[in-house]
Amino acid sequence: MNTRWFDPESWYWLYDIPPTRLSLLFIATFVGFYWIGSILLRPVLRQFVKNTPGSNDIVGYVLSCFCVFYGLLLGLIAVTAYQNVSDAAANVTREAAALSALYEDVSQYPEPHGQNLRWLLRDYTRYVIKYAWPLQQRGIVPEEGTIRAEAFHERLLDFQPQTPSQEIIHAEALRQFNNFLEWRRMRLFSVKSSLPASMWFVMILGAILNIAICWLFDMRFVTQLVLGGILAAYLGTMMHLIFDMNQPFRGDVSISAEPFEVIYRRMDDA
Amino acid sequence: MTPHSDMPQRVASRPTRRAALAQGSAATLAAARALAPALFAGCSLGIPPRARTVPLGLLHSQTGPLAISATSLRDAQIFACEKINAGGGVLGRQIDIKAPDPKSRLDLFERRARSLLDLGSVAVFGCWTSSSRKAVLPLFEERDKLLFYAVQYEGNESSKNVVYGGMVPNQQIVPALDWLLGPEGGNRKKIYLLGSDYVFPRTANYVTRKYLETKGVKPVGEAYYPLNHADFTAEVKKIIASGADCILNTINGDSNLAFFAALAAAKVDPTKLPVVSTSIAEDELRNILPEQVQGHYAASCYFQSLPTEANRRWIADFRQEFGFDRVTDDPMEPGYCLVNLWKQAVEKAGSFETAAVRQAFADGLEFAGPGGRVRLDPATQHCDHWFRLGRIRGDRQFELVKESPAPIPPDPYPSFAFPGWKCDWTKGGLEHGAEVKIDGPV
Repeated sequence: MNTRWFDPESWYWLYDIPPTRLSLLFIATFVGFYWIGSILLRPVLRQFVKNTPGSNDIVGYVLSCFCVFYGLLLGLIAVTAYQNVSDAAANVTREAAALSALYEDVSQYPEPHGQNLRWLLRDYTRYVIKYAWPLQQRGIVPEEGTIRAEAFHERLLDFQPQTPSQEIIHAEALRQFNNFLEWRRMRLFSVKSSLPASMWFVMILGAILNIAICWLFDMRFVTQLVLGGILAAYLGTMMHLIFDMNQPFRGDVSISAEPFEVIYRRMDDA
Repeated sequence: MTPHSDMPQRVASRPTRRAALAQGSAATLAAARALAPALFAGCSLGIPPRARTVPLGLLHSQTGPLAISATSLRDAQIFACEKINAGGGVLGRQIDIKAPDPKSRLDLFERRARSLLDLGSVAVFGCWTSSSRKAVLPLFEERDKLLFYAVQYEGNESSKNVVYGGMVPNQQIVPALDWLLGPEGGNRKKIYLLGSDYVFPRTANYVTRKYLETKGVKPVGEAYYPLNHADFTAEVKKIIASGADCILNTINGDSNLAFFAALAAAKVDPTKLPVVSTSIAEDELRNILPEQVQGHYAASCYFQSLPTEANRRWIADFRQEFGFDRVTDDPMEPGYCLVNLWKQAVEKAGSFETAAVRQAFADGLEFAGPGGRVRLDPATQHCDHWFRLGRIRGDRQFELVKESPAPIPPDPYPSFAFPGWKCDWTKGGLEHGAEVKIDGPV
């Protein structure tokens, strides 16, 4: 059995599709699945409830009960996915804020130390905007930022404070650098963070069962197509939303490099 | 009466399941046909085509004692690559820069170079010291890949797998010595040779001694210190005691800071005992107090202060990208030109393959760089260079005091130092002469 089907990463190429088209693709897939099932499977499945008095009521009760559980599951997963994106966005903002504070601190250093350190921070910020972000948007953890952070750390440790005020600024810069490193590491960890495969399995199975229960209703065929189609379309929209939030740096609901861009502009104005 | 004549009229008028299916299918197909081109144009689902890339390695120390100089060289080459990418790339491919950090450690240069080649880098631009270049050279020869080396070096080397973009002694040290020995330089005859203890200073000073021999001059002293050496107080005392009237400085890296600090502490007057440095440029000057270096000299092919329009534009563009207070210097300019020469060669060859690119060198390549036209000599795979001598000003820039009338062709084996040695890759390669013995780690 090809296990790659169950690996969420093997589906990440979908993030490369423009958001509107991806949304339409999700809806079309779910509605299409429902309609095709209505044509091919409904006559077979209907045999189970055929000749059962009040079958529509029974199917309706089952569907309501199922929808409560499934709706709760989808809601909780959507909240978790959004929280994931939101946490990653907060980490990015904190990293950028620490970077900005660090830049201010090292600007107080005597020359040439101050200039060297400012250059290295600018270099780091430029790298994050121009190189790291596009890689993150492809789900790749950027590596060369670490080199730039190490270069800055090395230069920072080279500085020997000569006065009490320099000692205070240096201590503050080191504290700020540690904060920066912590947030930076968090950002890198979140590049690959996503919902586990088992969650996707439960969600997709739930959607299929939801749709399958709808096939059991006894009603006019066109009505079945329309009503079931609406439900399937909404399921597709929900799935798209969760998929979009699944990876913090990919898709329409993703984190931009704007906090770094703002700081970089300020660094260049200094 | 038909078999179904008892059916109520209402039911008979409803569409049959088959008819509904047929109509539904027809409507779905029609809608799909109408919408598909708009939704999924070109069967690509609207996925924007990802730019085709070509990996290119930059092997520059970003930490350790050499980072002070090598990081700027890296930036100049990144700048060149980005400009090329903005112009459409090379052979329609965007350059994918890979820049690992060899951390100024010789053992890491070979490992990092290997990983760059393993990642598919079509060429590598890098190395600062000759030791690092020699450490990676066997790997490039074994894999038949090209290393582009941008820093001035000692000569006495030729490899088909290296393109040397920096100056060699006949373009840098020899004209500087001519100036020192002549009336413009003060007819100085007591030259002290001071350098870091590795290949470049040892060989460059060997070439210097041999050249001075032809002029009937003998150095009054010679000393070498490890890279990163931080106390030159005793050495400066020795230099003063030797009666030297000028110092040829081939120290590399952070040690220059300590050396000039020791000179200033000993109150050495640059008009009486000038230092002519081969490895000091604007980037290193930022880290030295101006009062410690003002009045001393550097021999180079490029200074930031060159008053040409091309140079002004280059500096402005570089600063726009990398910061308003960044400086440009000698290895940065040749490094930038080298990337552009590589691009020209690849486009001429129509291929990234080493053999084809090397073949393109043979036809001769020229690039209008910020410091003037640069020509790659196909015989030696070295570049022609202007000789420029600059006096260090109080603003950490150079005042041009001497410039060669034209670019000087490279000679990695000057006959006075390496008799019988010659290199011409267009005519059979390297001709070996008598064995030359150079003291120290070469």
